[in-house]
Amino acid sequence: MKQKYIPFLFLLGTLAAGCQKLNEDPKASLTPGTYFQTQADLDAAVAAAYTELTPDYAFGFTSRMTSCFGADDLTTDPALNKGDYRAFDELNGNDNASNLLNQWQGPWSCAYQATNVLLNYQHVNSTETAKNQDAGQAYFLRAFSYYYLVRVFGPVPVVTYQPNTSDLPQRDSVAKVYNLIVSDLNMAIAYLPPTWPGQPGKATQNAARALLADVYLTMTGYPLNQSSYYAQAAAEADTVINSGQYTLVPDYLTVFQTNNSTESIFGLQFNVSGGAPERSYGASATPLDESGADGTGGWDDYYPEINFYLNAPNCIRSKETFYDTLKLKINGVFTRVPWNSPLTHAGHPYYKKFRAGLVTNGVGDGVSENDSVILSIQPSTNKVMDFIRYPMVLLDYAEASAMSGGPTAASYSAINMVRARAGEPPLPPGLSATAFQDSVVTERGYEFAGENGVRWFDVVRLQLLPQIIAARSSLENPITNTGNLQDKYLAPIPAYDMANDPSWVQNSGY
Amino acid sequence: MKRLLLQLLLLAFGISVAYAQQEPIRGKVLDPNGHPVPGATVSLKNSRITTTTDAEGNFQIQPGKSKTPVLIVTSVGYEESDVNVTSGGSISVNMKPVSKSMNDVVVIGYGTQRKVTLTGATASVGATEIAKRPIVRVEEALQGTAPGVAVESTSGMPGTPLAVRIRGTNSLTGSNEPLYVIDGFIGGNIESVPASDIESLEILKDAAATAIYGSRGSNGVVMITTKSGRSGKARIDFNFWEQNNQIPKELSLMNALQFATVVNQQDAELGQAPGFTQAQLDGFQTNPGTNWQKALQRKPWVNDYNLTISGGTEWVNYLFSLDHLDQPGMILNQYYRRTTFRSNVGIKVNDRMNLQFNVAAVIPESRNNGYQGDITDPFAQAYQWDPTSPIKDSNGNYIMRSAFASNGTNPVAQANNSLNDANSTDITGTGRLTYRLLKGLTFTSDNYYEINNNQQLTLNGPLTSAGLVGEDYAATNNGKSWNFQNSNFLTYHGNWSGHSLTLTAVYEQTNGEASNTNARSNNLSTYALGYYNLGLGATQIISSGYSSSSTQSYVGRLSYSYKDRYLLSASIRDDGSSHLVKKYSTFPSVGLGWNIAREKWLENSRFISTLKVRGSWGIAGNQAVPAYSSIPTIGVGGIENAAAYYYDGKTPSVYTPLGSPVSTTLKWEDDEQVDGGIDAGFWGDRVTLSLDVYHKHVSNLLYNLPTPYWAGGGNHEANIGNLENQGIEFGIGATPVQIHKFKWNLYYNMSFNTNKVLSLSGLDNIIVNNIGSAQTGVSILKVGKPVGEFYGYDFLGTWKTSEAAAAAKYNNKPGDSRYLDVNNDGSITGSDEVPIGNGLPKYTFGLSNDLSYGDWNLSFLFQGTHGNQIYSGTFPYMFGDQGDARNATTTEILNTWTPTNQTNIPTVSPSSQNYINSSRWVYNASYIKLRNINLTYHVPDHFVSRAKIRSLEFYVSGQNLWTITKYPGYDPEVSNQTNGITQGLETGMIPNPRTYTFGVRLGL
Repeated sequence: MKQKYIPFLFLLGTLAAGCQKLNEDPKASLTPGTYFQTQADLDAAVAAAYTELTPDYAFGFTSRMTSCFGADDLTTDPALNKGDYRAFDELNGNDNASNLLNQWQGPWSCAYQATNVLLNYQHVNSTETAKNQDAGQAYFLRAFSYYYLVRVFGPVPVVTYQPNTSDLPQRDSVAKVYNLIVSDLNMAIAYLPPTWPGQPGKATQNAARALLADVYLTMTGYPLNQSSYYAQAAAEADTVINSGQYTLVPDYLTVFQTNNSTESIFGLQFNVSGGAPERSYGASATPLDESGADGTGGWDDYYPEINFYLNAPNCIRSKETFYDTLKLKINGVFTRVPWNSPLTHAGHPYYKKFRAGLVTNGVGDGVSENDSVILSIQPSTNKVMDFIRYPMVLLDYAEASAMSGGPTAASYSAINMVRARAGEPPLPPGLSATAFQDSVVTERGYEFAGENGVRWFDVVRLQLLPQIIAARSSLENPITNTGNLQDKYLAPIPAYDMANDPSWVQNSGY
Repeated sequence: MKRLLLQLLLLAFGISVAYAQQEPIRGKVLDPNGHPVPGATVSLKNSRITTTTDAEGNFQIQPGKSKTPVLIVTSVGYEESDVNVTSGGSISVNMKPVSKSMNDVVVIGYGTQRKVTLTGATASVGATEIAKRPIVRVEEALQGTAPGVAVESTSGMPGTPLAVRIRGTNSLTGSNEPLYVIDGFIGGNIESVPASDIESLEILKDAAATAIYGSRGSNGVVMITTKSGRSGKARIDFNFWEQNNQIPKELSLMNALQFATVVNQQDAELGQAPGFTQAQLDGFQTNPGTNWQKALQRKPWVNDYNLTISGGTEWVNYLFSLDHLDQPGMILNQYYRRTTFRSNVGIKVNDRMNLQFNVAAVIPESRNNGYQGDITDPFAQAYQWDPTSPIKDSNGNYIMRSAFASNGTNPVAQANNSLNDANSTDITGTGRLTYRLLKGLTFTSDNYYEINNNQQLTLNGPLTSAGLVGEDYAATNNGKSWNFQNSNFLTYHGNWSGHSLTLTAVYEQTNGEASNTNARSNNLSTYALGYYNLGLGATQIISSGYSSSSTQSYVGRLSYSYKDRYLLSASIRDDGSSHLVKKYSTFPSVGLGWNIAREKWLENSRFISTLKVRGSWGIAGNQAVPAYSSIPTIGVGGIENAAAYYYDGKTPSVYTPLGSPVSTTLKWEDDEQVDGGIDAGFWGDRVTLSLDVYHKHVSNLLYNLPTPYWAGGGNHEANIGNLENQGIEFGIGATPVQIHKFKWNLYYNMSFNTNKVLSLSGLDNIIVNNIGSAQTGVSILKVGKPVGEFYGYDFLGTWKTSEAAAAAKYNNKPGDSRYLDVNNDGSITGSDEVPIGNGLPKYTFGLSNDLSYGDWNLSFLFQGTHGNQIYSGTFPYMFGDQGDARNATTTEILNTWTPTNQTNIPTVSPSSQNYINSSRWVYNASYIKLRNINLTYHVPDHFVSRAKIRSLEFYVSGQNLWTITKYPGYDPEVSNQTNGITQGLETGMIPNPRTYTFGVRLGL
């Protein structure tokens, strides 16, 4: 072959290799255009909505309650790296708090995934029942998320469409957000099955009703103040109670050391070895002064305020709730000292119910200990984080029924079930509706002490800040708020999203 | 002119010229140091007679029929030498090395060009320059040697790339590293090129030079040309160096007694029980406790071996090189090892056709050299850890935690037990055909194929921070990729009556694929098998990925000159890429030059030997959009570490989260640059000056904009704004002394650059979520300010006793931190945060000196920066204020404010905010370093030639022996920068070593 042809061969080869195709095919990535074909696609999209709530930066950690530290069931270390909790404890939070961002990020991420399911579930080739049951979970989770957002942050945009990068929705009114929540929960009730055998983590019909009852009850208070919803709250709760699906666990502490008990209505599921640890039980709730025999230590993130502890009813539930004798290692020997001993650095009682985490064969996966010795303090546990327990339905019913023409015998019966399990006597009969409501609110405070801000949201809806400030011990972190107290019922929108849209107006006072 | 030059040459180098009729002409070819040049080609002008010199540089050649024979002597690395043979006897030809001469040919994109006709701003670093110091990575060779090129060694970890900035920071989150082109392979792997393989480095700075690389050229281009064999007998070169590395500085930390005393004082201030008993304090009187810095650090020996065999004939040249580097880190259980192999073979098939086949392979292997600089790294834990805690207990078990230490883990245990091992094999094959189609018209086809296999093995067993919280795991990631480049170009070159024209047309295509498989196993039942059997884990998580990219480009270029006086070049490149929705973008450039010194009225000047003015304009791009950025995707897993959702707490269910929305209008960053320059030489270029002024305007800045959480959170790529860089840079070279055997060369360069953000899609500023756990929200992008301004409160020291009343307004008391209340609203809130500094230098400079006396050579290089600052994440933790550090460790805490000693070091009190982002942690990081000093002895050839040794050199050198800086941390040069914004942020980075080297270069 003549060599002069060689370059032409090269040229020919190049042309044969062809012009590069410049289109993209992300072979390893699912894309919206081709997804949502099968029921399995849909199931996996629903699972994403649940999973979005589990990380540390969502609801997996104590930071999910950052804005709730203003209540009397939560306070934090006076000095350590708890600045965000401390600021809200002192009613002086700010929009730069990174822990606050978790309260914002978690529910929004869940709602985003839920909306994705709701926009696409119809496309799937499957049975109507299976599709609707998945849609029902998405409705539930979206309502659950928005309910959380609206209570913490007030007006937020209602995003029920797939947004694109140029969308700039404005903050919608609180009423509009509640409309979405109520409508979503009604859809969830319509679509969800009564139970999910073997899958206790999935939302059920009664979980949606229980949540709706609590939503209606909240709508009666600040900021909507629509007392007409008492009756609807009572009706939804009543349906759940009458279903007979749930019973109170005889021993209060057992609820916090087992998963998916008979009183669990909806909880987030965790799995440490699967990379989804629950991190609010265990080390987070344990004093800094305590350390395990293996050198592991407590984080001192959250504990009750002194007077909240001192004013607690004298009952078995209080003994199981609070941890008031610390086990300090002094010169290498575990020594029991009372919470207010000068040997403790914070001088506070702690929560006992959040220490152990999931107990298996008598050993907790959070704090592993006996009366005299702490073996280990772990920050990651497998404990389910219960968001709706049966006592909430009972107390929602008690309050709502009392405030809509009661209290009735059923009102008394509901609250007294909770009190009986707590080891308290029944409420004295003949209370006025408002006195009865006060009793229920107090009962909720202690029944749900330290749990997901239940107490704080009661403080908000009933405008209790002046009372709890008055009751606050001088030994607590000082209230440093200098602004308008009324502004403190809402947390600021995190700076992160304020910066994303300069036209958003921050909540007053921040 | 030519004759004059020739005479000057003859004069300067004292060529004695011989003439002999019919007798063979004998002679010897020597370099300027008097060493023989083997393998040089000697040919008789106007004939086909040619020969090459032997190992001693000797040649003999038939003179032919001419009465005035002229010999043409050529050799790679030297200028062509024409010798008039006028007398008999042996002649000696002194070759002048290719240097700063205007006759140099330099490598440009898709070809070469005579330097005299260049219109762009470029700089060169040659092999002799590179050989002056022991170099581990290519980037080091650029450090301090060229104006406009700032090279920072941002970490002293073995095997870490250096940060190279050509003319400032051009991109926010995209790469700011220059484009490396290795023998024409765009984006080649520079890890595969050991310093001794490099023939030359060309640095292309302005758009006239870089626009030829279109969408990849905006950060400047570094063209690496590797060596090739010279015709002649095989040459064997063996180089070896051994080096001791040391961390140059120890931070001043408290001993056990001081530490315990301070802990007790602070407990007292906070109303808490003392942490240490009197008995413990008494014990610390005699026991200083653990020095964690010493416990973690090592002074390792680093060595490098290089063997090169090269040679060739008229038809074939070859070069094989093998290099092995072994570089242990300066902390426990850390290393980087690298083996490279190169084979460069050139074949001259006939007068028309040349072929080149190169193979380059690199096999790097590393352990624990991926620390990004975080407060949880062992190196950072070492300066935060409790000095009262021993490393191990009396049973020999690690004491993993201490109630008084940081929340982390015993740094010695962590360093020893946590493994992050990586290895890879990367092979690049090059095939090049050049074919002369017609006179002046050449076709070239360059083909490159690179394959890479890599593996990452991770083990975090029981005695690691992950293990302590029950999150122990082992993981294996395997990746594979290939890249292909095919460049075909036609080059026409023509000369007629003073006009010179070169036309180049290129068609280029690239494509590549990458895939990976990741397996992770949690809570292994035993760690006896390390990371080798992931089947032992309770939970196993698997994922995999794939991506592919392709580009297609068309390039045209015209270079024209008239009598080398008037120069014009213009190029245009149309780049198509798979990453964008709108595929094609166009990048033009124009350059003009005037060689004033070549004008008649100046060409005889004795004073001015070179004078050229240049000007250029052009646009280059930054390809900072990753593949698939415009396609919304649905993830598989990926929410934190969750492998699945567990509806019963046990059984995993796969989940597929929808990603955030993406922009479909993405464009490359466009960098429009104007450059004006002057090159001058005086007294026969004994003094040279090169000066450039430039302005760069970068538009379509890409930023990974935060996506609102209501839209899914995370980030999305968007084109958000503009920035500019403008600057002046110059280099001055001189040979102040040249007497007999003594010669002194010096070179000084200096670069000023100012950077400014011009717009951010309507926003005034963007606060950046930073890197590492110690630094969040420390940076801000602000219109009118440079990129990556530090952001925080303005620290004013402490409240003094006399200011108690004012302090009380802020809920503070004397001794507390005091910050500027910018808006004067009586409280310190987020709105009081302001820009408080910047990591960008105002100018950088380098001064190199080269002194040779006979067989001795001493060279040293000073290099420095001025006007840059560091935001330290290290110091707040050493003050133990808050965060995860529990107690102060620095001795500076001993000087804390007291009523009787009112210093500016605040007390630890509940009312004092000591740890917030503030100017307290911003330090002046200007420095001057004696980067390198080197003394070489060339053993006289007559000593070694009997042992058949061609040349033998010994050298000793030191790097970073001396630093002038006000920065109180380890090293003002290190930072955790991951992009243009985070420059100057520092937390727990390992400093650059001080090194002492001994080396040998042996040639056979």
